[in-house]
Amino acid sequence: MEDRKTDVLVIGAGPAGSMTAKWAAKHGANVLMIEKRQEIGSPVRCGEGMSKEWLHDVGIRPGRWINVEVEGARIFAPNEKVFEINEKHAGNEVGYVVERDGFDKQLAIDAANAGVEVKLKTAAVAILKEHGRVVGAKVKEFGQTYEVRAPITVGADGFESQVGRWAGIPTNIATRDMDTCLQYRMTNVDSDLRYCDFYLGKCAPGGYVWIFPKAEGLANVGIGVQVSQVANPADARTYLDRWIDKHPGYAKGKKIDMVGGGVSISPPLKQTVGDGIMLVGDAARMIDPLTGGGIANGCIAGKICGTVAAEAVAAGDVSKEFLQKYEKGWRARIEEKLYRNWLAKEKLVTLSDETFDKVIDALQDVRLEKLSVHNILKAVRDKHPDVTREFEAFL
Amino acid sequence: MPNKKSLHIESSGQLCVYCGACVGICPLNCIYLDETRITFDERVCTRCEICVKACPVGAIEIG
Ligand SMILES: Cc1cc2nc3c(=O)[nH]c(=O)nc-3n(C[C@H](O)[C@H](O)[C@H](O)COP(=O)(O)OP(=O)(O)OC[C@H]3O[C@@H](n4cnc5c(N)ncnc54)[C@H](O)[C@@H]3O)c2cc1C
Ligand code: SF4
Ligand code: SF4
Repeated sequence: MEDRKTDVLVIGAGPAGSMTAKWAAKHGANVLMIEKRQEIGSPVRCGEGMSKEWLHDVGIRPGRWINVEVEGARIFAPNEKVFEINEKHAGNEVGYVVERDGFDKQLAIDAANAGVEVKLKTAAVAILKEHGRVVGAKVKEFGQTYEVRAPITVGADGFESQVGRWAGIPTNIATRDMDTCLQYRMTNVDSDLRYCDFYLGKCAPGGYVWIFPKAEGLANVGIGVQVSQVANPADARTYLDRWIDKHPGYAKGKKIDMVGGGVSISPPLKQTVGDGIMLVGDAARMIDPLTGGGIANGCIAGKICGTVAAEAVAAGDVSKEFLQKYEKGWRARIEEKLYRNWLAKEKLVTLSDETFDKVIDALQDVRLEKLSVHNILKAVRDKHPDVTREFEAFL
Repeated sequence: MPNKKSLHIESSGQLCVYCGACVGICPLNCIYLDETRITFDERVCTRCEICVKACPVGAIEIG
């Protein structure tokens, strides 16, 4: 096949890639987005829970991909005492449970309608470099290899990202900064359509078990386990099956789907751009290290990434210095929270089940409208002074 | 390389769910996922066993 040229080459058509492509095209760039799968959004690798307050900001309209609008979240201590947070106090961490393949397809349609050219079954297999700068990628489309030359190449290739590493941007993650995940879609279970549920403690070392309701009696039941706490192969599966066995409301359910995957729970990367190259979404390790949610951050950063990519092309300057505008832009929007939540996660993964029980117990006394880190810590101090020591860093 | 242990990724679909967890964490970036095909570069792999732990379903064996 013949080699090609474009202004912006986006590798990966997940939410981050489609948003980047759409906004680059809207700002006048010629954009080619390639996706190695044959179907965008499928197979799904996601719990499908997302907050919603950011959607309008980045130009995504609610659509048929919404399954359920939840009212809040319930956090279960190891002793199964529950703490309920409604949406306002969850910091909008919950909102919708979605049909992730439908969501991804909608974003790709939006991108295509903005003028983006989309190629399926087309994988990047190497990065093209000249004089130290990235000038495109070698791609394989339907088995045929050719080169795509572009002043800007965007790595939006998800958790399994190789583009960044090929380009020389360090994106390696440590085992303590990753969760290994498994999820079943289950029918005939006692999930509650009003809540996303989270179970903490040793049932999921360094992670949690989640129940996200899809419809009456239908839910995504999943687990994340910190890789550094995995003792035996397939622990994610072992722990999830054990949790289900112990909960009659789920043990009676039937599995109709299975999803695996990796989630980074790392601090933000030091660098996400280089000469001619930008990283976005999971490829840039933008997942929230506390919640494991990455859709919102990928889309928010994607809009900035696409906008700056088009500006760089128009200015004829795709240097790392020019692309700092993206680096600064996404950090201004999400870095502080990523860092704060990473610190919180680093603490949480060390807590014993008894401490979790005590914290959740103390939370019962905090009036919902007064839920703040300060009030939570005060409640813990009043009720269980013995565990306050563990939280000194946050005081 | 006779001194290296053998690494086996069960990628015919009996175990592997093609999730990419191993690809993302391999410190040598030597595993490739092609929709429903997993390959790894025998020469680059150091048998560090990190991918074995990262796989949610136990599809990777080193022996
Ligand atoms: C089990 C699990 C549960 C999760 N649950 C939630 C949740 O409930 N809520 C939430 O917000 N987040 C969740 N996440 C995280 C969320 O799925 C990701 O943050 C999100 O998908 C990131 O979007 P992205 O566009 O960066 O990457 P992806 O959605 O992974 O898209 C990357 C795309 O790039 C393609 N690609 C990869 N390599 C190449 C290549 N070489 N050439 C061409 N194309 C390539 C892939 O095929 C893929 O389509 C979960 C993750 C897992 C694993
Ligand atoms: S053993 Fe280590 S180097 Fe080899 S494929 Fe697995 S993670 Fe990569
Ligand atoms: S982590 Fe396991 S299930 Fe996932 S792609 Fe790798 S070998 Fe397959």
